[in-house]
Amino acid sequence: MTTTVQSNPPAIEVRDLVVRYGGGRRAMKTPPAVDGVCFDIAPGETLGLVGESGSGKSTIGKALLGLQPPTEGTIWLHGKDVTTASLKERRTLASELRVVFQDPYSSLNPARRIGQTLAESLRLIGIKGDAARARAITTLESVGLPSDSIDRFPSQFSGGQRQRIAIARALVRDPNVLVLDEPVSALDLSTQAQVLNLLADLRDEHKLAYLFIAHDLGVVRFLAHRVVVLYRGQVMESGPVEDVTSRPRHPYSVALTAAAPVPRPAEQIDRRAHREALSVGSASTAPPDPKGCPFASRCPLADGQCHAERPMLRLIGGQRVACHHAEQVGVTWPPPPN
Amino acid sequence: MSSIRQAKHQRIPAFLRSWGGVFGAGWLIIMFLASITARWWRPYDVAEQDLIARLQGPSSEYWLGTDAVGRDLFSRVFTAGALPLQASAVMVLVAFGIGLPLILIAAERGGRVEEAIGRFAETIMSLPSTVILLAAIGAIGNRIYPVMMIFGLLVSAALYRILIGVAKSSRQHLYIDAARVDGMGSIRVNLAHVLPSMARPIAVQAAIVYAIGLLIINGLAFLGFGPGEPQPSWGFMIKDASDNIFNSPWMMVPPGVALSLTVMAANALADALAGPLGIPEYTPPKRRRTISASPAQQSEGTDNLALSVRDLSVVVEGGPTLVSGISFDLRQGEVMGLVGESGCGKTMTARSLLGLLPAGVEVSSGSIIWQGRQIAGLPERDTIKIRGREIAMISQEPMVALDPLFSVKSQLTRPLRRFRGVGRREARRIALELLRQVGIVDAERVLRCYPHQLSGGMAQRVAIALALTGSPKLLIADEPTTALDVTVQAEILSLLRALVAETGMSVLLVSHDLGVVADICDRIAVMYSGQVVEAGTVAEVLEDPYHPYTMALLGANPHVADDAPEPERLAAISGSVPPPGNWPEGCRFADRCQFAASECSVAFEPEPAHVDGMSLCIRTGELRRTGAQWAPEHRGAELAVESEAP
Amino acid sequence: MPLYIAKRLAIGVGTIWAAFTLTFLLVHSTDNSPGAVRLGMGATPEEVEVENERLGWNRPLLTQYADDLGKMVRFDFGQSLINRGDVRDQLSDRLPVTASISVLATLLAGIVGTALGVVAAVRGRGTAKAVNAFSGFSLSIPSFWLGVVLVYFFAIRLDLLPATGYSRFSEGVGSWLQSLALPVITLAIGGAAVVARMAASGMREALAREYITTLRAIGTPEWRIRYIHALRAASLPVVGALGVQFIVLFGGSVIIENLFALPGIGQAALFGATGNDFPILIGVVVMSTAVVVITNLVLDLLTAVLDPKLRTR
Repeated sequence: MTTTVQSNPPAIEVRDLVVRYGGGRRAMKTPPAVDGVCFDIAPGETLGLVGESGSGKSTIGKALLGLQPPTEGTIWLHGKDVTTASLKERRTLASELRVVFQDPYSSLNPARRIGQTLAESLRLIGIKGDAARARAITTLESVGLPSDSIDRFPSQFSGGQRQRIAIARALVRDPNVLVLDEPVSALDLSTQAQVLNLLADLRDEHKLAYLFIAHDLGVVRFLAHRVVVLYRGQVMESGPVEDVTSRPRHPYSVALTAAAPVPRPAEQIDRRAHREALSVGSASTAPPDPKGCPFASRCPLADGQCHAERPMLRLIGGQRVACHHAEQVGVTWPPPPN
Repeated sequence: MSSIRQAKHQRIPAFLRSWGGVFGAGWLIIMFLASITARWWRPYDVAEQDLIARLQGPSSEYWLGTDAVGRDLFSRVFTAGALPLQASAVMVLVAFGIGLPLILIAAERGGRVEEAIGRFAETIMSLPSTVILLAAIGAIGNRIYPVMMIFGLLVSAALYRILIGVAKSSRQHLYIDAARVDGMGSIRVNLAHVLPSMARPIAVQAAIVYAIGLLIINGLAFLGFGPGEPQPSWGFMIKDASDNIFNSPWMMVPPGVALSLTVMAANALADALAGPLGIPEYTPPKRRRTISASPAQQSEGTDNLALSVRDLSVVVEGGPTLVSGISFDLRQGEVMGLVGESGCGKTMTARSLLGLLPAGVEVSSGSIIWQGRQIAGLPERDTIKIRGREIAMISQEPMVALDPLFSVKSQLTRPLRRFRGVGRREARRIALELLRQVGIVDAERVLRCYPHQLSGGMAQRVAIALALTGSPKLLIADEPTTALDVTVQAEILSLLRALVAETGMSVLLVSHDLGVVADICDRIAVMYSGQVVEAGTVAEVLEDPYHPYTMALLGANPHVADDAPEPERLAAISGSVPPPGNWPEGCRFADRCQFAASECSVAFEPEPAHVDGMSLCIRTGELRRTGAQWAPEHRGAELAVESEAP
Repeated sequence: MPLYIAKRLAIGVGTIWAAFTLTFLLVHSTDNSPGAVRLGMGATPEEVEVENERLGWNRPLLTQYADDLGKMVRFDFGQSLINRGDVRDQLSDRLPVTASISVLATLLAGIVGTALGVVAAVRGRGTAKAVNAFSGFSLSIPSFWLGVVLVYFFAIRLDLLPATGYSRFSEGVGSWLQSLALPVITLAIGGAAVVARMAASGMREALAREYITTLRAIGTPEWRIRYIHALRAASLPVVGALGVQFIVLFGGSVIIENLFALPGIGQAALFGATGNDFPILIGVVVMSTAVVVITNLVLDLLTAVLDPKLRTR
């Protein structure tokens, strides 16, 4: 226990997080879903967690929420170690740390009215009856839903409205940290924008810290202040979102940013040429060599060192990069499109 | 119009709204009540013998006849129900009492706990239950309740095997995770969320197991392990009947019918509880109704036009319109994007070209001119010749688009032999060539693979190779990259572009992603509520949109240019896409449009826009003059309009 | 794959052991003793005691268990307490009867059920409803009653088939089949109902899959889609159902053998149960469990052959 409490500890602090699924010898042979991940989130800050399927981004969210026990590492919430918090501790923690999931159709129990869903959460901290109802109504209104939503069932709402309800469910306990696990990727474009705007409004209003898990760099760039790029459970690059998306330093971040298409044809022609000039290899289903860089088998810059030695995160410019050849990126590589 | 749907009031449980459910529940209740009250109203005592009236058929004295010692079958049949109906219920309780906790624990813990419980259940299930029950009777004697409890134990293992999957998928619901994040305890999560969501399969299994219990109890009674004479049991009465079958065949009717009806009632209840299976009914492709199609137009004058769609409407038979009167053209070698949000009709449009609309959906009017031929409303035997050979399709989920039980080789060579009339060996060679053409390096290995051995990107490449087997001139790509990671998407887009350049085929790309369209398409048609609202070249439409909806979609897209500042808020569109059948008069977008005015509520013709495109907005000219821009909206946008609307 | 088979075999051996142990415990938990059973009603307690001593019933339970287990491994279950014959010999005489009934009934159920299921899935609503009604009906009719009804019509009224009794295969195929016809049909009807439902839902599910659309989009003929692709997909649940049916029918033959007076395993089980003939009971349980275990193993292998996901593991 620390005796001197820091004046302003990070909202979330994650150190050397390792998560393996399953147990036993077979699980030890397969690479972990999350492999030595570290990051901080300051109060009121939004950290984007970006990666493709299998990158471990959702697993990190689950580990934070206590849904998947970490194999190694530590998680602090406001300076308090919550890595292995018991259920009882979770109950109080749950007021500070809340979640919004991806699928608004599965995240609300279809058999319960909206009010019941919100009240269930409040009852666990001793708020019942009229007090709970009043609080639920206020919260629903704050996410832009009418107060009579409280007596309705989830099936009566559209996808975007359900996601607002899920956000209300998160906010009803008045938290200061929200894990947002792909909150807009199941929504249509116009609804997605509404929900993103709402999340931005709520953050500014309540000084919320977000862990924003997404696969779409565009939405991350809109909402996040800083971003962590994951590949196969490891951090490839992290730093301010503008730097990482505009001037990526890791070959994987370069490939990721180049691959995202933009709806401006003229610009997209250049981007496509740029992307095709990268000559990044296709992902294979085979697990990478645990000794080396997980991206080495696809990376055009990879050499013997990359296969033999796992690169550590290094501070280069404004961002931290796990690449032996980071200095080359943006200078001699990628080649200019011809 | 409120945007929140009204709840359906359901006072009567669903299973009682079918004849089977009413019969099942009703018969069981009547039979149970009759059997436990029988002693007060039955005409004769069950042991009362009338040796003069032995082996009689039905008469006014003995309504259902008599048995070999002249006992009244009516009284006996209605008394006999009590024991099996109760003992089977006890068995069901024991089975679920043991099974459900194990199921819930295994589903929650998973891993080794689940493996151990599963192994235990498997062992129990492998025990031959009838023989075990006989052994139990041989050992502990003819005691029905204990024996049925042992049977309950055996059944619990079967329940585990049937319901563990249900429990596990029920735990997949994110609201379970949400409740756990709330700090809800394990037991409470199970009682409040997991069990209620399993209620229906549990009820169904309970009814089925109850029926089995009835059969087992009476089967044992048939073998002589019943309540013992003179107490009646249906099983033993049937045995009695079979011994007297030469003298009085009628004797087998009352107990057999009573038992069969009771078992049938439990099974009917199970069927009613299960409800409709949820599997869509298979409707064989039929001859499509010939629609009032305009005769094929002369293709001269329309330079290298491959496909010309005019006023095409797609409707649900006896239901709403899904696509209403859309028109577009596609030239040879051109890539066209059909863009819109979900429910705007883009997939239905694409599928109508191949005659592959879902059952109950059909083209109601308009024409599809393919290579100068009218193909809308062609009978199945003619469209089947077009599919694959002239127009092919790839779909959204590559992992489910290939038959999991057949190897890549068999799936590729079969159509190759059909399309190209080649032998086995030649088909294999072409298959390898096609795989290489879609960018698969180790084609030999992939040819031997089964779909589950392929990654998503690889499966999509194979699906594209499959679509190329008939050398089609038009490829319909329905969201071909939506399920893929962004770097894989980029690879597939580059591949499609290369294939177009190589083969000169046209592509109709269905997508919700304007970025994907910008990457690969030459032309674009933006759809909203079953209409094309704006069309033109990609460069024109996306760089300088005319229609407010296109403007809004672009404004809602968070992908800004590199180094451009991210906007404070995105340009959201208020409200949501109206479902088919609920489309407003006049401009269908007017409800959500920032620029809507009174003239928008009446029908109007599309305005020409761009070089050879169109915009379906009556205010196009005015908006162009004033240089209107779609402005960002704020919170509550989704409901703001509804509360203002009349 | 070999590891998988070895694992399944180990589980099977474990299951047989469990069945043996369970029955052993059941038998030893009763007030009855083999001496009393063997000597019958007239024996004095002293005589029973002497007989029990002779049979080794009074030894410590663990000794008896180890001894019986050792014998069981060699399929030695001792002598019947009632007719004094060797249990193994009796059971091996009876096995062909039960095996014939259940194999033939399973085959019949498989053929009829699959045909009905395919027709229900492929033809429209009306046919599906009819098949569903038939299977609901067949599932609810107890086999012992159905057997009586069939005997009445086919043996008594029409005099086409023998009502009871068994004719050995060696006595001629014709009479063998005739003697089995009624029991087999009686058993197969319920099985066919189960298989028909499985086949219908399996086919319908397969025909609703996305890959069927892919197949249509390349102009695959409809018969190929139905009878090659969808039927192949439906074959997995059907094979599973058939395996379970065989097990159920094998067990269910107790009632049928009793009804038709067939000298099979089930009859032995019934005699064992009514007469407290412990060695017979244990022998029947172990043998039936072995049949179940072998069936499951065959089933696993068959599924693995049909499902490439298992085959390529």
